[in-house]
Amino acid sequence: MLFSRRLMLSLAIAGTMAGSLAVPAKAEGPTEIDLFFPVPVDGKLARDMGTLIKEFNETHRDVKATAVYTGSYDDTLIKTRAAIKAGKPPAAVIMSANFLLDMQIENELTNLDSLIAADGSTKEKFLGQFFPALHGNAVINRSVYGVPFHNSTPLLYINADKAKEAGLDPSKPPQTWAELTDWAKKLTKRDGDKVTQWGIAIPCAYDYCGWMMETLTMSNGGRYYNEEFGGEVYYDTPSMLGALTWWNDLVYKHKVHAPGATPGPAVSTSFISGNAAMMMLSTGSLTYVRDNAKFAYKVAFIPRNVRNAVPIGGASLIVPAGLEADKQKAAWTLIKWMTSPEKSGWWSRATGYFAPNMAAYKTPEMVDFLGKNPDAKTAVDQLDVAKPWFATYKTVPVRKTLEDEVMLVLNGKKQPKEALAAAQKAADETLKPYNAETSLKLP
Amino acid sequence: MSLAEPAALPVATSAAPRPQVLKRLTSSFKASLPAYLLLLPSLVFLALFTYGAMGRVLIDALYQRTTPKAPVRFVGLDNISAVLADPAFTGAVVNNLIYAVATTIPSIALALLFALALSRTHAVSSALRAALFLPVLIPMVAASALFLFIFLPNVGLLDYYIGRLLPVLPNWLGDPDIALTAIMIITVWKNAGYYMLFFLAGLQAVPEDVMEAAHLDGAGPYRRLRHIILPELKPTFLFVTVIAMLNAVTQVDHVFVMTQGGPSNSTNLVLFYIYQQAVEHYDIGKASAATLLTLAVLMGLTALSFRTLANREGGA
Repeated sequence: MLFSRRLMLSLAIAGTMAGSLAVPAKAEGPTEIDLFFPVPVDGKLARDMGTLIKEFNETHRDVKATAVYTGSYDDTLIKTRAAIKAGKPPAAVIMSANFLLDMQIENELTNLDSLIAADGSTKEKFLGQFFPALHGNAVINRSVYGVPFHNSTPLLYINADKAKEAGLDPSKPPQTWAELTDWAKKLTKRDGDKVTQWGIAIPCAYDYCGWMMETLTMSNGGRYYNEEFGGEVYYDTPSMLGALTWWNDLVYKHKVHAPGATPGPAVSTSFISGNAAMMMLSTGSLTYVRDNAKFAYKVAFIPRNVRNAVPIGGASLIVPAGLEADKQKAAWTLIKWMTSPEKSGWWSRATGYFAPNMAAYKTPEMVDFLGKNPDAKTAVDQLDVAKPWFATYKTVPVRKTLEDEVMLVLNGKKQPKEALAAAQKAADETLKPYNAETSLKLP
Repeated sequence: MSLAEPAALPVATSAAPRPQVLKRLTSSFKASLPAYLLLLPSLVFLALFTYGAMGRVLIDALYQRTTPKAPVRFVGLDNISAVLADPAFTGAVVNNLIYAVATTIPSIALALLFALALSRTHAVSSALRAALFLPVLIPMVAASALFLFIFLPNVGLLDYYIGRLLPVLPNWLGDPDIALTAIMIITVWKNAGYYMLFFLAGLQAVPEDVMEAAHLDGAGPYRRLRHIILPELKPTFLFVTVIAMLNAVTQVDHVFVMTQGGPSNSTNLVLFYIYQQAVEHYDIGKASAATLLTLAVLMGLTALSFRTLANREGGA
């Protein structure tokens, strides 16, 4: 009896609390909206986001935005989907740029065209603010579904001190795969059979591995996926075979890359500790390297075999489907403010991502910052040759089919050719339902 | 038991006339009414958050979309057969079996060893007990993050020490042959201290007079362990084994943090597979079907252990 009485009491308390919470929400006042944001790199981002949203609320009296931390990129997708299913979608989300297509296929995104038109602008004019390389991941079927917020490209990081030691000139970094192989050989130090310093490290863990495979495939002339249609990937192709064979050769033929799959943080730690003399990693790690490297370092473009080309990474702001009109409008105000040149530049300097809004690089603060940190400019320069990030129907499982096979190759358990054939087969199987509804649905 | 049941049944059905049965039923219900009332609050919450969710999983497991834009439709057992035909699922089941056996046995053996060594309470053993219990206090996610650094290839703590002995350094979490072992090491490290507590409690129940008698009869430490302590600890063993098995299925935080089931699915466990189906593949039907299969196995395991426990108590 005591038990249930206590329960009744707590239920009553909970009821009054819920009631008191619900009342102010119904009262007239600013439109309250939630912004879901992930922290894919360092913890400091969460504090910076707090600062940003506080400033927004102080300057916009009619909107009250709340930033809700939602974990990694993948977690953010889960939580957004859960919120949509529960009928309470957040008004805006910072979403990994390559999840947009999958969400659009599942009818989970708001088409932003009408919001752009309501401002008296056009799609071309609106998108024209952002670097052209970023359009591919924001536009689906010629409609805008995302606004680029923070972006990255892969870079080659070089330990300049070690390069000088090995008689190499760090001011002339390797530009081709041949030169890079040569550098890596010269930078690998052996003690008998044991390697005490690796020439190069390239990360391979779920998510990163697919991105690096796209990087290598693109610099080998390939495409990885069909940019125009979400039902095709090009795994079993000469360009990807060349890319994976070269990676495999670095490990087992030249022995300048540690065997096995190594996640991104292990690669950066290895580079910082001097265990790896070069690494390929995202621009997003630049701030971390700048703050932690106790040696002179140099960043350079990803070397080419056929052409210079890299994929973009990072995230876009999206508006989930199923929102009330006033929240949609408030979200749009927030998104435009966050991607304006000033805020875009501020976020870039705080995090290490590059600012997607081109005008950000003309603001005096940014000119000043780049003068002090010329290495931050390399990522921006590389944007000229950047292309969209792979995005297909069910992006994550389709990517995983390739990553699982690449990991087998890096562990010496499979040869590149058969691995890519297996990856292609598994990916085609995952893409089948989508093709059945699109490319193979015939009159 | 099996002999007694059939004899009792006909008596119950044939002897008593109907109204009397009803009367007895109502009177027994009246007698247990307070008990049901006391159970009600917990039942409400169980229904809301456990049975309700299970019912939902049961329904979800029967539906599927054929193409992304198609509506969900009833497919019966197709989801279950799709899960059983998925090599990733069978791989996860095999991994989980290896994981269950190879974490349960060492952690229980270690726990027993610790408990035997530290059963007498004095300052040193108390300090050691606390030290061995420490891993239990660290959340699995935090422990996994710590072990990520320990297992870092080439520069991690483990390689720093082992590196002097081995010519080629293992890539602990990046090599499909070793990754599952690395995951298992953490589990044993984390759980042994917890199971030790149960064995310590079990050792308290070993009758002092029997031990003294054995001692006087000249039984050595090994014989006392073999013939008195271990038989007395049997219920503890059973209980700890059930807990360890359940842990092996329900604890995947370290897989989530450290390997995401990789490399190449070598550390994928059943629960993580379900997560992948639900989240990465966005395939609720298949995820629910895999959940049902797992639930069935867990329930079977629990029923079996309860029966064994009940049998023991009945026999004692």
